Amino acid sequence: MSHQAVAGPPRDQYARPLAAALASGCAVAIVVGVYAKLHHPAHYALDVAGFSSPLYAKAWLTTFAAVFAVVQLATGYLITRRQAVAAPAWLGAVHRWSGRIAVLLTVPVVVHCVYALGFGTYSVRVIAHSVFGCIFYAAFVAKMLSLVRRDVMPRWVIPVLGGVAFASLIVVWATSSLWLFTTHGWHF
Amino acid sequence: MRKRGPLITLACVVILALIFLWANTLVAKPGSTAAAAKTTAPAAAPAATAAPLHALYAGRSSGDQVTVAIAINGAKAAADLNAGQASEVSLQGSVHGSDITLSGGDGVRLTGSLAGQDMFGIVSGFLGQSFPFSAAQTVVEAVYAGTSSGDQVTLAVATDGDSAAAYVCNGRTVEAWLQGSVNGNQVTLSGRGGASLAGSLSGLAMFGTVTVSAGQSFPFSAELSPRPAGVYQARITVNGLATRIGWAVLPDGTQLGVAVAGTAKSPAPPLDLGNDSFVLGGATFTAAPVAGDDTVVTP
Repeated sequence: MSHQAVAGPPRDQYARPLAAALASGCAVAIVVGVYAKLHHPAHYALDVAGFSSPLYAKAWLTTFAAVFAVVQLATGYLITRRQAVAAPAWLGAVHRWSGRIAVLLTVPVVVHCVYALGFGTYSVRVIAHSVFGCIFYAAFVAKMLSLVRRDVMPRWVIPVLGGVAFASLIVVWATSSLWLFTTHGWHF
Repeated sequence: MRKRGPLITLACVVILALIFLWANTLVAKPGSTAAAAKTTAPAAAPAATAAPLHALYAGRSSGDQVTVAIAINGAKAAADLNAGQASEVSLQGSVHGSDITLSGGDGVRLTGSLAGQDMFGIVSGFLGQSFPFSAAQTVVEAVYAGTSSGDQVTLAVATDGDSAAAYVCNGRTVEAWLQGSVNGNQVTLSGRGGASLAGSLSGLAMFGTVTVSAGQSFPFSAELSPRPAGVYQARITVNGLATRIGWAVLPDGTQLGVAVAGTAKSPAPPLDLGNDSFVLGGATFTAAPVAGDDTVVTP
């Protein structure tokens, strides 16, 4: 009967791409984490002009990324929400571009973190920051790769990966930018 | 249907990350840091601050494990890292514009850059870890404690911003209270009976000449020292006599003091540095640490 045929293929169709996406995400997290741990901190990194110090430049870039991440969460929710009418096209564009900007904003920051500082383990805040920093890029990579085969993915895959990326970015922001602002003052 | 968009996004992020990493490996090479600083300098100029001639910075690592004290004197810099439990390291280094680089034994390094009144940087190789730190320029009390080169007298100088107060004595018969100021890296104090001190700050030390009374001058060196080092004073009444006791305490707890009752001078009783108390004639008294802006010489 066709019952068997219908139940079989969808699972087989998404299982392999999803496993590949998740495995790639894990690999990225491990590579970033291990490189950060093994690389001897350089104590020096490119400066971003316009801020009082490299630390504040990083803090603000992360803050901007977190703001775009909130846009991501809102638009992602609207797109995913079950509704009779399909989400307008512009919503998808906003979601895609806010996400791209958010991730690109984090790139100079993570390079500085990984290259100049490394994987820190000297306090709970720093451990959380290091671990969730790796998880964020894992979730991002897994989500991007899952999107490639979105047609075969179950509905929950993209929201879950997006949610993990969002949550980990907020943890990363709270353990770095928020910490800096509350201990050293809100300024640029 | 396969979508290419996410792959393009992913590729862009990876390429940007590699570009940043590559750029960082270029600027981080020793020897090319000057060139890198030059290229970033025009844009960063409003934020960058030239190091002051003489300044102290005190702060801690972001994880709170290490306290950092940095002294800048012209092109020289010195720092003290302390993680408690005898984990203490002294570093020496230099100042280039708004950047400082210091190194010490066992490969400990400290790099920092000034931003206004703050210094941000990284300590590496200390306790096998790297610590980002921040430190603020401080005008709070500093204590320089040491001895004359021939060990004739012990002295402690307390500074508070541009004010300074000092006590110098030999523990028996010679003593002088001094009051004065810090101007740049020059320290000038004076007291009664021709007593004076002229010193200059260099790195974490003060060098100069102290005159305890007319004709009795000694060259000295004193180091920037944490508590218990300091100037301590007690004004009490013993047997109806107003008695003033001064102590100069070195960072290892070594102390020399003189008690002056009327015109009689005698060795000061030992000061318990745990609670600043001492016992004299069976009674317990408390001495007070003297800050740089305290008045110790009444005009």
